Amino acid sequence: MTNHDAIDLNFDVLPGEVEKLRLQVREFAREVVAPRVTALDAAPADDFDWEMVAQGHALGLTRVAVPKDYGGLGLGMIGCAVALEEVASVCAGTALIFGAAMLGQCPVLLSGDPRLQARFLPMFSGDSPVLACNAVTEEEAGCDLIIPANAVHARDVMTARRDGDHYVLNGRKRFITNAQVAAFASVFANMEGAPGATGLTSFMVPLDLPGVVRGPVADKMGYRLCLGSELEFHDVRIPAENMIGEEGDGMAINMAQSNMARASVAGISVGVARGAFEQALEWCDTRVQGGRPLREHQFTAAKLAEMAAKIDAARLLYLKAAHKVDNELPAPQYEPAAAKLFADRVAIDVADLAMSLTGARGYVKSFGMEKRLRDAYGARIYEGTPEVLALAVTESLYDRDRT
Amino acid sequence: MAVFESTEVAERVFGTLFEILLKDEQFTSQLRAGDMSILLTQTNPDCVLHVSADALTVGADAPEQATIRIKMSSDTAHQLWLGKLMMPTAIATGRVRIRGKVARVLELVPILRPAFDRYPELAEKEGLPV
Repeated sequence: MTNHDAIDLNFDVLPGEVEKLRLQVREFAREVVAPRVTALDAAPADDFDWEMVAQGHALGLTRVAVPKDYGGLGLGMIGCAVALEEVASVCAGTALIFGAAMLGQCPVLLSGDPRLQARFLPMFSGDSPVLACNAVTEEEAGCDLIIPANAVHARDVMTARRDGDHYVLNGRKRFITNAQVAAFASVFANMEGAPGATGLTSFMVPLDLPGVVRGPVADKMGYRLCLGSELEFHDVRIPAENMIGEEGDGMAINMAQSNMARASVAGISVGVARGAFEQALEWCDTRVQGGRPLREHQFTAAKLAEMAAKIDAARLLYLKAAHKVDNELPAPQYEPAAAKLFADRVAIDVADLAMSLTGARGYVKSFGMEKRLRDAYGARIYEGTPEVLALAVTESLYDRDRT
Repeated sequence: MAVFESTEVAERVFGTLFEILLKDEQFTSQLRAGDMSILLTQTNPDCVLHVSADALTVGADAPEQATIRIKMSSDTAHQLWLGKLMMPTAIATGRVRIRGKVARVLELVPILRPAFDRYPELAEKEGLPV
């Protein structure tokens, strides 16, 4: 091996199938999603465009990480993250419709159980679109359900109790993306009698079961094309075989799937940033003040340069994280958390700078920039706030076993 | 106390287990189709196995290169194959650590069924706790 071979690292080429998907999704975002965004963003909170979702489903956006054996694309987290960046560059809410579906699939993928996989995965490759959701958050418990040390302090958590060969679920989830439209949910409930959330357990729950009530849709600031709503469970009986892992494993499984998913959320944030940046870039090229385009003014140039560099850095971080996730089980904690922590901040910073550069136009709704700014704040909440991510990153820094 | 008293016992038990798997047509054809090989590195006691569609190598002669590399303790392996430790639990808690294409691993897990079916009998015959 020559020295040249030893240092050969190619940042320019995505795996062939991923690049092909990226181009298809870019066209979908521009041709199908973009024309609908303004109207859907302004529509009532519970408005949902199944026809748009169907076109994304036809491309495979509901099954990017599903193994090929079950009809999926088998493109892993790299495929998910790259595809979601493309959708989010036009509309973050639309990206999250597909992202939340993938998150609902995660425990089934992790289960390694062919019976569960045969029940829950092939439905994503049918002719009609099918969505899933991940139900963790509750009224009193948010971060307490994703920080293991907090589990004992969690309050009023949804419960599960064993009853023969079934489990009975009771409780209410909040702010669950896709809950209103999903076929099934990945649900985390605490075993009755276990303090706080120390008995958190993972279940796959078809949402057409008796006792499941889909609650009202939240009227959100951004991400309005996806629906976040409540899910109520009133004595919902599910077969014991729908449990993932064992009783009390829910926190570990939730952490494992979060570590898998955060790279793709970082992809969404990069998409939001890129969308805002590209709009600002075009504006600064055509808008003339002082006799020359804005981009030739030094203060403007500095902003554009900072935006571009941050987006590129955030993309490299999520690609690295996704690559690790696609090659390690359990997924690493550090890289996805660091990628999401950085990308979420970049989305806000870049959208803010883009808003600044586009002046009064940016402040007008029809221009689209204010939607990007509203959306930029969304990813800072789901799949780990900056506070939660900082703890995950720092814990990894002190983990002597981390390689 | 460890389930296996020595490397020799662990290698004999897990070697026999993978010999059983290698007789399973679905297992070998999937390995061959995916050009896959597995390096299993267990600790306490140490036990190393390398599995490809055509060969099983146990012990020090096992090749170091494999498309899927799995690390766990021999006790964890015992619990896993007995079905007393569920795969998602083992992975989520880090008791089993896998390196290699996760997509391949996800396809591999379901075809390990014959090993799960046969291990309890195998362990019992060796006088191991089941």
